[in-house]
Parts: sequence; C-alpha cells; structure tokens
Amino acid sequence: MARETLRNLRRNLTLTLASILTVAVSLSLLGIALLLQRGVSNATDRWQDGVEFIVFLEPDITDSQLGLVQEEIERSAAIESYRFVNQEESYREFNEDFFPENPEITQLVTKEIIPPSYRIIPKQLSAAAIEIVASGFETKPGVKKVVRATDEIQKIEKATDVIRWIVLGAGVILLGTGLLLILNTIRMAIFARRREIEVMKLVGASNSFILVPFMLEGTFQGLVGAALGTASVYGANRAFEEWLASENVLNILQSFAVGSGEVWGIGGLLFLVGALVGSVGSAIAAYRFLDV
Amino acid sequence: MIKLESVTKVYKGEVLALHQASCDIQKGEFVFLVGQSGSGKSTFLRLLNKEEEPDNGKIFVAGKDIARLRRWRVPQMRRQIGSIFQDFKLLPNKTVSQNVAFALEVIGRPRHVIKTQVPAILDLVGLQTKMNRFPHELSGGEQQRVSIARAFVNRPLILLADEPTGNLDPATSVGIMRLLERINEIGTTVVMATHDRGIVDTMRRRVIELNNGEIVRDQARGVYE
Repeated sequence: MARETLRNLRRNLTLTLASILTVAVSLSLLGIALLLQRGVSNATDRWQDGVEFIVFLEPDITDSQLGLVQEEIERSAAIESYRFVNQEESYREFNEDFFPENPEITQLVTKEIIPPSYRIIPKQLSAAAIEIVASGFETKPGVKKVVRATDEIQKIEKATDVIRWIVLGAGVILLGTGLLLILNTIRMAIFARRREIEVMKLVGASNSFILVPFMLEGTFQGLVGAALGTASVYGANRAFEEWLASENVLNILQSFAVGSGEVWGIGGLLFLVGALVGSVGSAIAAYRFLDV
Repeated sequence: MIKLESVTKVYKGEVLALHQASCDIQKGEFVFLVGQSGSGKSTFLRLLNKEEEPDNGKIFVAGKDIARLRRWRVPQMRRQIGSIFQDFKLLPNKTVSQNVAFALEVIGRPRHVIKTQVPAILDLVGLQTKMNRFPHELSGGEQQRVSIARAFVNRPLILLADEPTGNLDPATSVGIMRLLERINEIGTTVVMATHDRGIVDTMRRRVIELNNGEIVRDQARGVYE
C-alpha cells in the first residue's frame, strides 16, 4: 500500500506540489497568528506580575511640590509599595538600560532634563483599580505624566489584534484552498487508476484496501505541508528573537518573546490541522468519486 | 446458488431493464442468457454482482439475500463471484502473470500463495509460456484467457460472463467455451450472456431468454431461438 501511495504521489507531482505548498503557506499563516497571540498573552502576563504605574515628575519640581506628592502616596490606602527614582538613578537607567551602545544619543541628554519618578505598585492589581489610583496623580502640581504599564500593552494588543485577524483570515481561506487542492489531486489520482479500481472492486478487494492508499496520499500531503509550515513558523520566531536581541528594541517588546516549547506546541497543532485537512480532503474525494 | 424473485430494475425512472424476473439456478449449472441488445442481460449480471440494486424483488446468491448484505460485506460476496467481459478489462501496464496476481494481491492473499497459484491457473488456461507478456502482445483469445484466469484464480463458486466471445472469431470462441466448460465441470456455476447462436445451439445447455426485461423462455438443454 505504501508503494502504491508513493507511486501516486510521483505521478501527480505538479498537483501534489501545489497542494503541499498551499497547505504549507496557510499553516504558516495560522502558526504566525497563533505566535502573535502567544506573544501578546505572554506580554500581558508578564506585565500583570509587576503591575505598576509610574508617576513622572517635572525635572524642575520644587521641594514643596515633591513633598506633597510623597505625602499623597504615603497616605493612600490603595498603594502597596513605592520607590522613588531620583534624577541620577533615572539618568543611569536611561544610559545603561536603553541605549548602552549608543553614546551619541546619551550625550545629548543631560541629567537635568531627565524626570525623577515614583514607581508605584498598587494593592489591587486590576486595571480598573489602577486607573483610579493612577489618575489621582495626574492633576497634582509638579507631575509631568502618569504612565500605566497597561496603556502600552493595550496599544500593542490592539495593533496585533488587527494583524492577527487578517493573518488568521488569510490562513483559513488558504487552508480551504489547500483542502480543495488536495481533494482535486486525489480525484485525479482516482481517475488515473480507475481501471485498477474497477478490477479491485470486481475481484472483491475490501473497501478499506481501495480507500486507504488515497487517504494516505492526502494525509501525506497535509503532513508535509504542516512540516514546512512549522519550519517557517519556527524560522519566523527565531528571526524575531534575533531582532529582539540585536537591535535597540523597546524594552516592552522583550516581553513578547515566545518560548521554544510554545513554538513546538504550535507546531504540533499545525501537524494536527495538516493531517486533518489532508485526510478530510481525500475522504471527500474518495467518498464522491470512488463509490465504495 | 442464484435465485431471483420477481426482480424489477428501472433505469432513471423510465428505462425498464428487468421486469418481474424470477428464476432459480442450481449449483454447477451452465446457463446462457440470450436476447437482443437492451433486453436486460447485462443488468441481470450486474445485479448478481451487486453493481446495481434492484428496484423491486429479491436476489439470493449462495443462499443469502444480497440486498441485506452490509456494505463492508459486499467485497466478501464478490470474492465468490468471478466476472469476465467482452472487453477483457485487463490492466495494460501489467504482464499476464501480474494481471492475475493483482486479483490475489488486492484481497490480501499471502505472497507464497500467489507464487504457486498464478502459474497453476495460467497452466489451466494454456498461457504458461506467455506469463511475462503484456496484454497488447496477445491475441484477443489469449487476452480473454488471461481474464478468465484472473476471474477464476480465487476459485469462485460462480462465474459471470458478459458476452465473453463478443470480440472473438468463431474458432477462438470455441477454445474459450471449452475452457468455460472445464471450469463448469469443476463445479463452478456459470452464467453467460451471449449473442452467439452457434455456441448456444451446439452446447445445448439451459437457456434463459430475455425480451424487454422479461424472462420469456427458460429451457433446459435449449437452443438460441
């Protein structure tokens, strides 16, 4: 049976390649959509662990204004803990954490224009609770800006959401195309072997004996497509990781990294979908054109 | 062995292929089905093989009501029925012995069985010297012998022949009929649809005549008309 399957694959090479490539591309898109989803959910998880907001103060804040803000923080029952980061520390952070390899940028920035800040961890970690506490500081004199971690995450979430749906949609449409192509390949294979099939039925070959080579052929196409798809998803993730490591990427993006375990999980899923598409496509073809 | 009880088959709701046909064929009989083209001979044979389903009536093959067979049982039933045709239905890309072996391979017979049975059956049909030829290298009579070998290699209880001499000259046809007679003598029930008056008249076997789908004559040791 394996020999028959292989022979069929060779006979129908162009159509087989078309099916495999379509499945591969559609599964890559599907995989990348899943990758994006994992990335966003990782980022959200990581930020929720250390949910905090930052109260940036004016660089030229007066001592009395600073005292008022400090008093406010200490008085607030909603705040678990806080840390004051003065100008010197902020400046060091700016140089070392953000632009360690670009002294030309840091040279333009002097200690005096860097804002000091309070890093605050609220007691309640829900976004709504944080919002109430954080917005209370926005109007205080001497406060430049209040930045919530969730703000940035949400922005990226929204952006990736749109991309994800487009990629997912394209992936699903292509997957449908792949299924139809596999169906058609199997139909051609059945047509090419119609004499043999007629004889097989005549002499009493069991239905499964007639059916299985075609099912195997379709499943094989789906699986090869899945293998290529998984490879490209893996490649995409590696490229993303390298990009994160090599360039001066915003710190926040680091939390989007997806572990290799998760990538293999996605790969496993792609194999499952590929096998499913292949066997369903060939099953439909067999059911419609084999008449067993 | 074969029993029809008022079997009716209508194609596409209008073409009457068989109408209220009833007959009983015993084990080991040799039966000719005669009648004009379109009288229902081929339908008769196709119904026995369950390639077609009757619209009415019952068909028994080897004591079983074949309408009640489950789908996955149909192949088992077909293994008890060999079929040969006017156009032989040989696979052009396989040699003589491969064509015959194919029938055994696809029903899962082990290799060592195939190795002994294929030469034996080719010996029986007189083609032992042409085992490695391809169908297009053989004469019509030889091709029909290959198809008989393929139909009979699994020792079926019944052999259905749909105008097996239709494409052959009279001298060759005689050889094919001798072969079918031999197979019949071993105990195989043979049902053969034919237009060949000479064959029917010389062999004097049971004749069932069909006309517009009805059995109009069923005669032991009959003639063509």
